[in-house]
Amino acid sequence: MRFSGILALLLEGAGYTLLVTVSCVITGLVTGLGIVALRRLFGKGVARLLALYTYVFRGIPVLVLLFIVFFGLPGLGIRPSPLVSMMLSLGLVCGAYLAEVFRGALDAVDPHEIIAAEVMGLSRLQVILSIEFPQMLRLAVPGMLNEFTTVLKYSPFGYTVGIPEITKQAMALASTTLRGIEIYTAVGVLYFGIYQLLCLLMRMIERKFRVPGFATQ
Amino acid sequence: MALLEIKDLVKRFDGRTVLNGVTFELNEGQTKVIMGPSGCGKSTLLRCLNRLLEPDGGQIFFRGEDVALPDTDIRQHRQRIGFVFQQFALYRHLTVLENITLGLRKLRRLSTAAADKKAAYQLERMEMGAHRLKYPAHLSVGQKQRVAIARALAMDPAVLFFDEPTSALDPLMSLEVAAVINQLRSENVTMLCVTHDVSLARHVTDRVIFLDDGQVKAEDSAEQLLTTHADPRIRQFFGQPAALK
Ligand SMILES: Nc1ncnc2c1ncn2[C@@H]1O[C@H](COP(=O)(O)OP(=O)(O)OP(=O)(O)O)[C@@H](O)[C@H]1O
Ligand SMILES: [Mg+2]
Repeated sequence: MRFSGILALLLEGAGYTLLVTVSCVITGLVTGLGIVALRRLFGKGVARLLALYTYVFRGIPVLVLLFIVFFGLPGLGIRPSPLVSMMLSLGLVCGAYLAEVFRGALDAVDPHEIIAAEVMGLSRLQVILSIEFPQMLRLAVPGMLNEFTTVLKYSPFGYTVGIPEITKQAMALASTTLRGIEIYTAVGVLYFGIYQLLCLLMRMIERKFRVPGFATQ
Repeated sequence: MALLEIKDLVKRFDGRTVLNGVTFELNEGQTKVIMGPSGCGKSTLLRCLNRLLEPDGGQIFFRGEDVALPDTDIRQHRQRIGFVFQQFALYRHLTVLENITLGLRKLRRLSTAAADKKAAYQLERMEMGAHRLKYPAHLSVGQKQRVAIARALAMDPAVLFFDEPTSALDPLMSLEVAAVINQLRSENVTMLCVTHDVSLARHVTDRVIFLDDGQVKAEDSAEQLLTTHADPRIRQFFGQPAALK
């Protein structure tokens, strides 16, 4: 097999890696933001429940969660696809970590501004959406990038449930061509490229929303 | 009729009584200043009036309607009160203009264009029109104060509350704020102003409420409280404000 053929297959795998990473990041963002919003909207009881969620999901290995979802749920008659299984394991774990990142960023939002908005007559939800989240997200950029990178690095677990992402392609190719060194070096380069892409994307978003007075990165 | 009529207002924190039967009135178009030793409950009083804190007793009549009752629409009530904070509390992630339009868009449901127009008018009034696209981080302290006032005025409140509007400012800028408050007074804006600043009190009103031990101890002009009030403690407070701060 020519190296260009190998590369084509690896690039195809890179597409799946990106798909898994982006899907899990989106799942994580939605859950992370949801957790923070619910915590701000409701009282102690809900907060305690959410704390339990973040505690549990940060404490169980991603691979174990993935197996529970992919191999366990079918026993209950639910058959999630491989991608959905990744979102329900890696994505939810990412959400638990992001919730912690967001909580830290939220602590840095000036409480006087929050009170000023409430005193104006805005509802709790309006304050969250107009004041707390926009500031929190700006302050959370470094922490978010960190979590997104972690998701990328965990994406190879997708191969255990049959997603043909980079690592799976590489293992298959290496065993048939015996050109392991070149293949895995290429894999490393590809991951690094995706990582750089992620950083670039975050930098672009950060620059677009940059506001003087917020120290980020 | 009084715009605000406060009767026997009580507020406790963990069993400690901070406001112990505060009673006073504020008429439409009137400006009153509330003074008193640090920790006597001035901020607490303002916060009870807009239900940021829940009073433990007493009544707050706003145009005759008791807004201390549990079934009061708190958000509706708050929209009638413009609040200017000591720390200004401008939204850091929004421009000067956006700081002012936020409430107009979210609460008054104005279109962006209409909100911008209204905000621009208030900014001109505060001589801040040229700064409307700046972020709070790029404003001087005095400019922040003006934006905070413009933001409160834009909502057409029935009354403006100030909590220590000059304590973060140098003497020159304090005079500026006093001038702004006086300008509003000449336009018959109703105002209630908490301050430590005796000179501000003298500049902006002839009605000073002296709050101590959780009650209104005196209400008179600053001059009278300073020179001829019977209670030496009050004379001393106005004579040597720094000593009690
Ligand atoms: N949320 C709260 N919980 C408990 N105690 C409080 C709370 N807010 C205020 N207090 C206490 O109530 C008292 C009055 O506080 P307040 O801030 O109203 O005083 P103030 O007159 O505004 O003082 P200053 O001139 O220093 O601003 C203080 O002793 C304060 O410690
Ligand atoms: Mg105070």
